[in-house]
Order: sequence, then C-alpha cells, then structure tokens
Amino acid sequence: MKTIEQINEKIRRGEAAVFTAEEVSKMAESMSPAEIARKADVVTTGTFGPMCSSGAFINFGHYNPPIRMEEVSLNDVPVYAGIAAVDSYIGATSESTFDETYGGAHVIEDLIAGRDVKLKARAKGTDCYPTREVQTVINKESVNEFYLFNPRNAYQNYPAAVNSRKSAIYTYMGTLMPHMENATYATSGELSPLLNDPALRTIGIGTRIFLGGTEGYVSWYGTQFNTRKEKNAYGIPAGNAATLAVIGNAKEMSTDYIRAAYFEKYGVSIFIGIGIPIPILDEDMARAVSIRNSQIETVVVDYGRTDKPVIGKVTYDQLRSGSIYIQGKQVKTGPLSSLEKARKIAAELKRWIEEGTFLLTQPVEMLPKDSFVRGLEQRS
Amino acid sequence: MKKRFVFRFSPGTVKQPLISHLVREFDIDANIWNADISYGREGKLVVELEASEEAIQAGLEYTRSIGVHWSPLVKELQFRQDECVDCGSCTSVCFYGALSMNPTTWKLEFDPEQCVVCGLCIKACPLRLFSISREEEE
Repeated sequence: MKTIEQINEKIRRGEAAVFTAEEVSKMAESMSPAEIARKADVVTTGTFGPMCSSGAFINFGHYNPPIRMEEVSLNDVPVYAGIAAVDSYIGATSESTFDETYGGAHVIEDLIAGRDVKLKARAKGTDCYPTREVQTVINKESVNEFYLFNPRNAYQNYPAAVNSRKSAIYTYMGTLMPHMENATYATSGELSPLLNDPALRTIGIGTRIFLGGTEGYVSWYGTQFNTRKEKNAYGIPAGNAATLAVIGNAKEMSTDYIRAAYFEKYGVSIFIGIGIPIPILDEDMARAVSIRNSQIETVVVDYGRTDKPVIGKVTYDQLRSGSIYIQGKQVKTGPLSSLEKARKIAAELKRWIEEGTFLLTQPVEMLPKDSFVRGLEQRS
Repeated sequence: MKKRFVFRFSPGTVKQPLISHLVREFDIDANIWNADISYGREGKLVVELEASEEAIQAGLEYTRSIGVHWSPLVKELQFRQDECVDCGSCTSVCFYGALSMNPTTWKLEFDPEQCVVCGLCIKACPLRLFSISREEEE
C-alpha cells in the first residue's frame, strides 16, 4: 500500500519508478500484480483522437470605447458571446459561414500555433458600452485568457463502426464502406487513460493531467457519463462509458497535440491529446494497469442503420490485427485515433514525472458512482 | 516490367477486344484498374501491363494501330506526409495496400507503387492531406 503523498515524495527525490501502460502490460506477462505493485509507482497513459465535445474560452480584452459583444465570429466561425462583454466560447464543431471544412477547431489550432485570427463583433450599443461594431485581428498574445474547457473527452472505450448499406456513408467514425467492407475504431486500447483505471479509483475532479502538450486538469465528469455499461471479467465496459470534462491553458499547448479535423459530409472536429498518470497504490491498481488489448473488448455497431444495432463484440487485439470477423465475414479494420501520438503522450508524461516537474494529485471529489444517459423525448 | 497506362477509345474502336488480344498475342498480363467504356461510344481504360519491355512496346504499337490512343498514367496521389498525425483513418478505405499502419511503430506508411489513385483516401483524411496531381495525360 502506498499513498499519493508517498509517491509524490519519491517523484520530488527523482526516485519514482514510472512506466507507460504499454510497458506495464508487457511486464505483466511475467510478473504478478503484487510484484508490479512493489516495482511501479506510477503508470502513464495516453490518447490522441477526435473529440468533438471540445472548445475554448477566450477573453478578448476591452476595446475603447467599450463594446458589449453580442454577435461574434473568429475567421468567420460563429462564437458564443452570450457571456459578459468580451468573454466568449468557441466550440470546436462550429463551422465557418463560408467554408464547411473550416471551423472552431481550426481557429483553436491557428491560435495555438500563434497565428493571427480575424475578429468581428457587433452589438446594439449601450450607455456603458457604446461601440456597435469592431473588426480587428487577435492572437494568443493579444487576448487575456485562452483556455480549453472540453465538456466530454477521453471516452472510456468506444464502439467500432461498420456499415451494412449498399453505399458508403460518411460519419464521425470516418468513411464506412458498403456491405461492411471496413470497420473503424477509436481508442488507444491498453494505453487509454480510463481503461487503466476502469473503476475510477484514482481519477477524479481535480486530477492533474497532460492536456494538449501542457498540464491540465479534470474539471468535472464528462457529459453523457455512463456507469451502467455491462463490464467484462476485467471490469472493462464494452462500449462508450465514463467521460471527462477537462481544462487547461491553451496558450501553453502545442499543435503537436491539438489538431483540427474535418470529417467528410459530417463536419469539423478536433484531435485532442490527453495523458493521465495512474498511481499504483496497491495490488488492485497494479492489476488494473496490467490490462492487455486481448482483454479489452468493445462492441461493433452498424452505422448503416439509424437504430445503430450492436452486431458483434471484438477485442483490441483483433481490431489492431488489420481485420475482424463479423457475422462470418472478414472485415478490414482501420483506426481513427493515433496510437503513435498516444505513445508519445504517455512517454512525455513519464518524462515529466521522472524529472520531478509533474506531481500527482489526490482528487478533490470522485466521479459519479451511478450515472446513465438519458435520451431526448418529444413533449409539449 | 510493370507500367500503367490510360487507353482512350473513340466510338469506332470500342468493339475491339483489345485487352484479350494483348494478353493472348503479346503475352502481357493486364490488370484493369478503372474502365469507363460504353458499347458504341467512347471510353477510357486505366490498366497496368506486366511483361517484358519489348512485349509491352509491341502491344502498345498494336494498340495505336487499331486506333486506340494511349498515354502513360501520370496522375498520382500527392500526400503532405510531414503534417500527418498517423491517425490511420485513410488505411480503412485503402484496399490496395498503398496506405497501411506499421504494426510496430503505428506510423502511417505510404507505398506509391501499390496506389491505384482511386481517391478514397482524399475524403477519408480528416486533415485533408491527400490530393491527386492535376497533370493531364498527353
């Protein structure tokens, strides 16, 4: 048994034993959970995938004479401005009025890259905010605050997608070819943050994480947080379950770990890089981080039908092999999230902890123990 | 030798069983990549020919002698690989093995030799890194 404070003491002294989730899964082939619990202090995870429910708060600074901004766009992408005079929220999936392939995600990437972005703002004009129109250029140095606040990131598992129709469909799960000719999948498997702490024993509100190349925090449980998904023998839910809301200073982020995306005939999304350190407090946590791709299952969903039925179940070992079998048919598989980047994130976070610059946090509050997802009903 | 060509048929030439003639008389292996030919009308055929250089040359001379115009396939896939994040979205629509994930590094590998320029990856890439060269056939 170790406490987070004891682990932090080792990190400060530069003595903490840190492994990535892939390294520890490899170790688990020849070591017991008890041995791993003795050897490892921290295990780092990583994921880099499209996460639509993301966005950034920006405070533009006050103009002279001041304006109470009511209609705002950045590079012609509509921004939410219904908060105070010069605060705004730019959602990643908001699209440019003139180009559906450019959206909020691209504005966020442009700002992180240090590029100038065109700001247009209109207002009715008030006694204390008389200006009615502003057109100017901003960048991350000119604005006051610019921080990501993503309502739903880091899904704990996600279904793989196929299409049974006679023609291709274009989805947020990529191009799905007809007659189930391909299947796409989205998580980093045994390296994925919430799959290494499936019971959410160590990750909670206030947990310090890697977000977009800098330090960030878990700010709340993510939207559509679901604890009621059926779990397998390893405690892994087969499909989308827990989620995280995360926050971090976008001015310090890097376009290596935040990238805009456009999915054909779907719209704009954003690749977010997240890494979470898992403290190995005891044998139970050692067992959790030892999870292997062969033990992580997810369901296969037919996106060709509007009711999106589950038509199979596969492991990440099978998904990564290049093909899976669904209803007796061999189906080619392809990922949507970058394992290569996920590995870089886990390695970078490992380096920060080894260097003593990143300390672990005791959550201020744990994530919900029982939560499910409601639908939207027609009422009057 | 393996080479790719575009054959252009005029209304008078589409009746000719050109490909089977190339296979039988010139001992050329032909792999049709794309065919858009209507009987009695004009059309275009994209084909990969495999044989000795002399056989291909003779076959091409025959092709021209019956009135079918040919040119080497110059369209090719352009890929801005330096901006790639190795997500792999393109690999699930590439059925020719031109785009694949390295099973060890999980970096995207592009093998232009395998590419049939079908263009599916252009729409599948969320970063819009693929395009087809605009160069026209002669």
